[in-house]
Amino acid sequence: MGKVTRRQLTDLLGMLGVVAVLAGLAIGLPAVDAALPANRPVSPDRRYEIGAGVTVLPPSGAVLDVTATRPGDLRGSALFRLGPVRYLIAVRPFHGDVEAAAASLRARITGTPGYQVTGTQRSITTDYGRQGLQGGYTAPGRSGRYAVFVASGLSAEVTVAGADLDLGHRLSAVERSTMSLRFPEQS
Amino acid sequence: MTAVRPAPTGGTLRAGLLRQPAFWVVAALLAAGMIRITAIGVHLGTEYPRAMLTATVLFALLAVPFWWFVVELDFLEREPAALLTMAFGWGAFVATSVSLPGGAALDDLVAKLGSPTLAADWGAALASPTVEEIAKAAGIAAIALVARGHVNSVLDGVVYGAMVGLGFQIVEDIVYALGAVALAGQGDEAQPVIATFLLRGFLAGVWSHTLFSALAGAGIGFLVVHRERRWRERIGVAALAMLGAWGSHMLWNSPLLRDGLGNGLLALLAVLVFKGLPPLLLILYLVRRAHDREADYYVGQLSTLHDREVITDRELAVLRSGSRRAAARWYADERAGHRARRAVRRLQRAQAGLAVEISRSGPAERHRDEIRQQRSVLIRLGHPEAIDPPTASGTWRRRAWAVISTVVAVAVVWVALSALGGS
Repeated sequence: MGKVTRRQLTDLLGMLGVVAVLAGLAIGLPAVDAALPANRPVSPDRRYEIGAGVTVLPPSGAVLDVTATRPGDLRGSALFRLGPVRYLIAVRPFHGDVEAAAASLRARITGTPGYQVTGTQRSITTDYGRQGLQGGYTAPGRSGRYAVFVASGLSAEVTVAGADLDLGHRLSAVERSTMSLRFPEQS
Repeated sequence: MTAVRPAPTGGTLRAGLLRQPAFWVVAALLAAGMIRITAIGVHLGTEYPRAMLTATVLFALLAVPFWWFVVELDFLEREPAALLTMAFGWGAFVATSVSLPGGAALDDLVAKLGSPTLAADWGAALASPTVEEIAKAAGIAAIALVARGHVNSVLDGVVYGAMVGLGFQIVEDIVYALGAVALAGQGDEAQPVIATFLLRGFLAGVWSHTLFSALAGAGIGFLVVHRERRWRERIGVAALAMLGAWGSHMLWNSPLLRDGLGNGLLALLAVLVFKGLPPLLLILYLVRRAHDREADYYVGQLSTLHDREVITDRELAVLRSGSRRAAARWYADERAGHRARRAVRRLQRAQAGLAVEISRSGPAERHRDEIRQQRSVLIRLGHPEAIDPPTASGTWRRRAWAVISTVVAVAVVWVALSALGGS
């Protein structure tokens, strides 16, 4: 091994500068992100637009997690948090019936290692008469519910997840909110 | 003004790299990135093995013409395969590993400091270019630090930048294709992969990371090569090029023109023309300028020889221009067949190699021997000079053919996408 030259040392310092920039991007930015609060208050009496004109009344006591909420003209998502319970609604263009939409959602749920769909699928009707399908699933340490609605060339997928006890306490508020889903033609 | 700083001779690149402490830092980063991306690949591959295999094969095949095109950009002074692979690996493994958490965090910050609506509309346009362009440019800087002698013209910066971008693009496309499979919710199907391949690989591939990083690479190349300029000026040019790369990426990801034009062919063409064409034309102009300056330098080295067996006056003019080199190969094929075309290509390559060795005062005999050999092949075939056709009709025919082929290819891809429901 030869002697390290001055030029090699300068290049090494430059390279450590490059590493510092990478660390800033990969570690620094997530640290700043984690230091800032993600939740925003939402009113349970005021309709929240998820995307593509689909609206919902948030559950009482819920906050909006802005990191997973992305409204849009063609699609959108909204993540509400009720304590440790996650309540996610995703709207996207969909050309098919509600059975196909439910099959697609179930496939994605069971595609996650450790996730299994439980029980049978049941029919559900919103306060505005829109029929959908709902069911349940389990995952290590948590349970979940899902519901799917299809209307106006859109699908609205609802997933609720949390520990059994937390979910049990908050499920009725979430279900009331889900029933309030309204598609654009019903506005 | 110095257009080219000849690379020093003596010692192999491999030995030089292994002696560099900075190289071992790059090697460690590449290893860490490879582990991270492989873990993601294994996870996706376990979930969707057929889709993963399809995506890997399709995008690996797509990388071949891109790689060939980027390498050919610097025909006169080709970059070592080891450094090109390092650049590709940086884009594929290091820049992607860094961009995954960094991009997601910055997107979240846009939502937190602005609003979810702002993040939905502009998050991809603000977060991705910021994190990804910096992570990729860091790779070009790393190449310059471990092998400074091989970044000896602005064009070299373009080549290494494009190679970093290509590595990033291929891995990102594979991840996007698997994301489309997951979103479709139809299980391990190849159809979303093919739709993603046509859309991101063909229609959007040209305007993607390879292009943006080439622009950043031009700036870093300028910073490294033009040591006769003041620091302020060199850093200013590099910063401007970075800004250009960021701006091009931002424009491409922006919601501008996304709505209002529908999903038809017209909308697609409008997006390609208004969002993709300006940066493409800018980088093509820069590459052309950088190529011409480098060509002037190397052809100048050959013109001092005054040896008609090595290179004639007309061949000097042809060697200076990429399109005229291609025209000379095509003309040889037309006049004396495929063997003549191959001999012209080898002759041009040997002439370029000789020019580089003369500029470095390095050993040139190998290239002289190759030139003599290919020259005698051409004489035997009755086409002694590697020149382009005397009239412009052949050139125009080739250009018209290229334009028609491109239009037909875009139409075919669009029809295929429509059939797959990807439009």
